[in-house]
Amino acid sequence: MPITILQPSLAPPPKPRHEDSHSDSEGGADLEGDIAMGRPAKRARTQDSSIMTPGEIITDDPQWMRGHGTYVIPGASSNTILSSVAGTLAKTNKLLSVRPLRARYTPEIGDLVVGRIVEVQAKRWRVDVGGTLLAQLPLSAINLPGGIQRRRTETDELQIRTFFSEGELLVAEVQQLYNDGAAVLHTRSLKYGKLRNGVFMSVTGTGGGGGGGVVRARRQAFTLDISGTDEVSGSEKIDVVLGVNGYIWISKHIEGEGAAAETSGPGITRIEESVGLNVYSSQNDIIPVDTMREIARVRGVITALVENGLRVDEEMVIKGYQEAVEMAKEERDSADTLWLGGERGKRLTKALVGR
Amino acid sequence: MSSTSQHLLLSPAELAYLHGSLSLTTPGPIRPDGRAPAQFRPLTAETGILPGTNGSARICFADGTEAVVGVKAEVEKTPVSPYEFVASTEGRKDHSTSIPQKKKGRKSKKPTEDEETTMDVDDEDDDEEEAGDGSAAVEKVRGSPDWVELSVEIPGLRDDDSGTVFLTSMLTEALLADGEFVKKLWINRRFHWKLYLDIILISPPLSYPLPLLSLTTHLALLATRLPRLKSEADEDPMFDDDWAAATFLYPRQDTSSGKASNKSKQSSAAAAAAAPASRPPITLLVMAVGDNIIFDPSKEELAVADSAVAVSVAEGPSSESEPESDSIPATTTKRNLHLLSVRTIDPPSRLTPPGVPNSVNASAWGTMTAATPTTTTTPASANEGGAAKHPDARVTETEDVVGVWKAPRGGAKFAMLGAMVAKVLERGGVAEEVLDGLEGVDLG
Repeated sequence: MPITILQPSLAPPPKPRHEDSHSDSEGGADLEGDIAMGRPAKRARTQDSSIMTPGEIITDDPQWMRGHGTYVIPGASSNTILSSVAGTLAKTNKLLSVRPLRARYTPEIGDLVVGRIVEVQAKRWRVDVGGTLLAQLPLSAINLPGGIQRRRTETDELQIRTFFSEGELLVAEVQQLYNDGAAVLHTRSLKYGKLRNGVFMSVTGTGGGGGGGVVRARRQAFTLDISGTDEVSGSEKIDVVLGVNGYIWISKHIEGEGAAAETSGPGITRIEESVGLNVYSSQNDIIPVDTMREIARVRGVITALVENGLRVDEEMVIKGYQEAVEMAKEERDSADTLWLGGERGKRLTKALVGR
Repeated sequence: MSSTSQHLLLSPAELAYLHGSLSLTTPGPIRPDGRAPAQFRPLTAETGILPGTNGSARICFADGTEAVVGVKAEVEKTPVSPYEFVASTEGRKDHSTSIPQKKKGRKSKKPTEDEETTMDVDDEDDDEEEAGDGSAAVEKVRGSPDWVELSVEIPGLRDDDSGTVFLTSMLTEALLADGEFVKKLWINRRFHWKLYLDIILISPPLSYPLPLLSLTTHLALLATRLPRLKSEADEDPMFDDDWAAATFLYPRQDTSSGKASNKSKQSSAAAAAAAPASRPPITLLVMAVGDNIIFDPSKEELAVADSAVAVSVAEGPSSESEPESDSIPATTTKRNLHLLSVRTIDPPSRLTPPGVPNSVNASAWGTMTAATPTTTTTPASANEGGAAKHPDARVTETEDVVGVWKAPRGGAKFAMLGAMVAKVLERGGVAEEVLDGLEGVDLG
């Protein structure tokens, strides 16, 4: 079946009918005014499920304090607190804040991010990390090929495009933040650097309160063993890098390389002895067909997780992948066992949540 | 030819991987989202979303791209050329028209510009005249491409952007190619419907929007209804006020809805008689990577396409109609698909920067320590001394190296073009499935 056409459905689960009629019959003054839109008049009861829109009045009760995602009109004498983002209301004691449904990535020091070079300047690169501002990667914050430790010379500046050029992907760590929220990255570890042998995908990153997307976790990069599936010959592995910014890289695992490599490996001091000579290569290795297929499967699992509003972290991806392999085994006859969208994605996540 | 979209930034390693996985032959291509080669992204479709239009539709892809099409119709006077002669006026009772009618003998005059595009009134007029039944059915229905106005709006692009213009012209071409569509707009000799199609992409163009826009347009046209005509023949048109009695522009053949089924007897009947089961055209985006043919490519898939083609297909009359020259000989199928147009699309892959093989990449192996390569996967790593001597060498003209991206050169191969078109048109193929799927949408 090449095409699936679905009926449109309401995004949020509809509230029970009787609740609406009940609030109507109360007959009291509608505090929300013209924005009620079938929402129960008393927000306090259903605060978790309702969505605030920017500019919407949350409360005018003076006992509340305003938190993130809210504002008060300056100069106005009233204590009206309004929402400044679209999201769900959260209350912490007397603090009101609105958690945005989706937001751009706000970098924090130490975050592992996947980024794409968008601009090459004289001594630095500008990197798209999905934030409001481009991050920057100074020439001095990368490893030179071969692990040589020396000052960056003019020759290096002239050759800056041989390290990273426009469009290339890299995995890096946030080293420093500016006042405006812009990040400075570094790749001074063998775990970081240019990415190859795989596919890129972008999902919601941290900052969104919608539930889905990549969350900050203990380990953002891990290796997935795909030799458990009987179709895969040999012991192939897949690296998954879940950038905190929601950019994800799924690639073939190469021993001793990549962000998922063991941290007990060679450190910065022993770079020159290590194997990481091809950190700036843009040539892919020969990738077995099985590995490609499993990479596509992992990508499908992550897409299904995001579409169904589940968080994306190591545990969920590994579980989801195992579940997807099981699903593929069950329906070996049908052709499209790799496709995890639509109905199959729902089944997958249902199985995951049900565990 | 037109470039598919704005600059798409992908790294050479990604491009090489995508191209490698899409050009696999033994298990077929592995698409990054796991779809089968001919599988479309699941879509959500609904019609009748804009109450102010004659027909509207909205389609939303699972990846978030969304389009809305509204069809509006207005009655417009047909400019009648004084040289024009319509045979059946002789037998007509009502001469409400003030346009001078010429004698039959004048018909051999040179046709005006408008007439060149219309269906030619040929010699069989004589027979009909003799038959003299005076009904509208024998009247020659004609149409003009001017009767359809189509506008495409893509967010972030100017409406005179080459991409938008190309999309507009491609969709217009599909509609007008066989001249059947405009004939449906014919009311009588003096009046016709003018159709305005507003095609709006709501989301940013996450992938090349042509198939989405085409499918949405198709659905909107399927849902388009025109008021039922009450007047007869060449009178000034009078319409039924009752919207429930309005007739579908494309009558449904054997659905349960009674209001649609009687359409073929009514208004501007000849149009319906000419094509009782025809459907609006659809334009499908097909791309080829290696020997694989892939439908509905996503943005990153299109970025590694060797060639991409937009194939417009229309469904003709279902049964034993006259065999057209370019129609696929489908005598027993229920759908008679015929090809309207094939347009090559310039895939963005041509603009991508090439990857640098390790053999010439100074940084990949270290300028000084190049003597001991640790990986010997590529045969190209043999001539590495050259790189050490010229560390700056950015060789663009290299031969093919496995795992290194190189933008495709040249156009689509003829055999591949033929295969792509055949794949669209084949019996039980993609076009049929798509038409079946769209037909299943509730026209509410």
